[in-house]
Amino acid sequence: MILYDYILSPSCYRVRLMAALIGRRLDLRPVDFHPGQEHLSEPMLALNPAGTIPVLQDDGLVLTESTAILTYLAAHDAPAWLGEDTPAMRARVAQWLAFAQRLTDSAGAARAHDMLLAEGEIAALRGQATQALRELEAALSAARRRGEGFLAGNRPTIADIACFPHVALAPDGGLPLDPYPSIRLWMRAIRALDGFIEMPGIHRLHELKPEPGPMPEVIRKEKA
Amino acid sequence: MSETGAMRDHWYPVGMTKQLTEAGRDTLLMGEPIRVFRDGGQPQVSDGAGRALPVIDRFGHVWTSLGTPAKDLFTIPEADQPGRRLVDVGVCRVRCSPLRAVENFLDIAHFPFVHTDILGSEPHTEVERYEVEIRDDVDEVWATKVKFFQPQAAKSAEGGITTDYMYRVCAPTCSVLYKTCPPKPGEWDVIALFVQPLTETLCDVWPWMALYDDDAEMTDLIHFQQMIFVQDRSVLENQLPALLPLDPGMEIPTRADMTSIAYRRWLKRHGFTYGAQLVAA
Amino acid sequence: MPTDWTPAALSDDIPAASAAPGQLGPHDLAIWRSASGRIAAWADRCPHRGMRLSHGYVRGERLSCIYHGWGYGEGGQCVRIPAHPELTPPEAIKVPVFRAVEASGVIWVAVEAPEAPPPEFPGFEAFRSLQVKAAPEALAGALGGSGLVVEAALGGATVVALIQPLRDGAVGLHLLAPEALGAAELDALSVAAEALRRRVEEGVTA
Repeated sequence: MILYDYILSPSCYRVRLMAALIGRRLDLRPVDFHPGQEHLSEPMLALNPAGTIPVLQDDGLVLTESTAILTYLAAHDAPAWLGEDTPAMRARVAQWLAFAQRLTDSAGAARAHDMLLAEGEIAALRGQATQALRELEAALSAARRRGEGFLAGNRPTIADIACFPHVALAPDGGLPLDPYPSIRLWMRAIRALDGFIEMPGIHRLHELKPEPGPMPEVIRKEKA
Repeated sequence: MSETGAMRDHWYPVGMTKQLTEAGRDTLLMGEPIRVFRDGGQPQVSDGAGRALPVIDRFGHVWTSLGTPAKDLFTIPEADQPGRRLVDVGVCRVRCSPLRAVENFLDIAHFPFVHTDILGSEPHTEVERYEVEIRDDVDEVWATKVKFFQPQAAKSAEGGITTDYMYRVCAPTCSVLYKTCPPKPGEWDVIALFVQPLTETLCDVWPWMALYDDDAEMTDLIHFQQMIFVQDRSVLENQLPALLPLDPGMEIPTRADMTSIAYRRWLKRHGFTYGAQLVAA
Repeated sequence: MPTDWTPAALSDDIPAASAAPGQLGPHDLAIWRSASGRIAAWADRCPHRGMRLSHGYVRGERLSCIYHGWGYGEGGQCVRIPAHPELTPPEAIKVPVFRAVEASGVIWVAVEAPEAPPPEFPGFEAFRSLQVKAAPEALAGALGGSGLVVEAALGGATVVALIQPLRDGAVGLHLLAPEALGAAELDALSVAAEALRRRVEEGVTA
């Protein structure tokens, strides 16, 4: 599978993260999105007339919506991630995949504005993102009351992976996550998953590794 | 907003030459609105009143000054060596002091924690003694004999190596680092950080590189450096206070911070205080 | 500066080996819980380079800064500087420490220990924290009370609302719900809390 990719794009990161979590190797084709605007070049527009990335190519299949790519990767390699246990779970996943687009259009646009100088009405974007983050916080606090840590149930699905990048990177767009304790715990649970990978702006969860080396007091004793 | 002070008479990057259009780009320099544009093919900069500001086109970027620079913009002689690839990395905006952005660029001790498994990794966290001086003849801060163990030092690096570094502060908001060049032993890769101070707590950062690397795609080189800088960004936006404290006492350095200590001393000596705070708040 | 205890977070929102940002009047706090479960509230600023410690990581009984990995233990004392692994950090490198205690599922903070312990609310348990863009008085008024601790009817239940003044025109609303409410009743309470926030914020902008 070939992924047309940009290291700073949260939507591309959705795909890289999903692939890492399920052990799927991707053939990455970096696109000079910024500053080169290569996504708007003729060859890229021929591949995706919408001029967006990511684009996934597999045999004859070309997918240009990141949530559709998540669906494809999961269906291909790890169907449990589709979250199809029950009709309700399946619908919840679909609901959150649509919600993820709202995050892209609000928090994602605020980040592109603040970081890469993209056009945008920043106050309105932050307002829409705050509304979305509040909805997510309410849903995740309800999930915690049910003893569930993830959006569609008690295990992560493509819904979590679709929503995670723009939420985790919201502070890049001037949207602090301080007011959202349930979002913080949910992000932590995702960052602690086996196979999790970061993107720039999301730090390594260093607590998963033990403190290296002997402690100073031990060294002192050894030297004495 | 404080006085622009002695920094007013220095050169600052205000755009990438390649991206310049006739319509131009409206931006800020030290709180003052400016316009960067192309006229008759030549880069031009005007201030808020429409007055023409001095312009230099160098290192792929347009440079200007609100004041009267006493000397030419610094040079990077290595960049003229044949065979190097010059890389315009593109802008990244950061809500931080321009001086904090430069100071972070001079720091190696954060590599294992912020650039984990790329520029550093635990347990290889030790910073060995290195040399720092303010070179009076060129009026630059230099750090030499800096060494650090790196899992993936550059796009072209395979596996971990101990990387040698030299750092150079050649203008109040510009620094150049020289580091081991994996494909060409004995030569240095050149990586520069050019910072445009929009205000005292907001800057546009324009990284730029001159590398020996015949194999990597240009896009890979750009993305590697963007990745590194954006990893730093969330740290830079969360330092308190936002302004760089120049008086001792507010922050505690160690021997690993000798470059930053010299940078702060040099800033203070010259009255380069736009983006700095002098008295502990 | 408040001289009494201030509710800063709910205990369940900061589990073992994690850190979160908080506020106490003009102070930014890093509120964190060690692996063994001890809660602490420190100045949210690493003395080295001013980085927010609430972005840091907890290993065992230490909070470490994300920037350079400086590790801090009991009393805010710096115990480890990774750039100099063999150095015992000088005692002077210390993060200012605030008081932090837990009661009724709430983490309470103070600059100096107030004479009395924080209030207990028997029969109630911590429910949710929300941030509201409004003045404390406006929120208390909308709950039908005044002050920073309001017993109110909300979503068909009687709740305790702890109001935490925050900076930049915001308040924290820490809600305690009666013990043993059912899942549906708690969901209704959550919906009512969101509605209350909308109402109060519209009042502010109207």
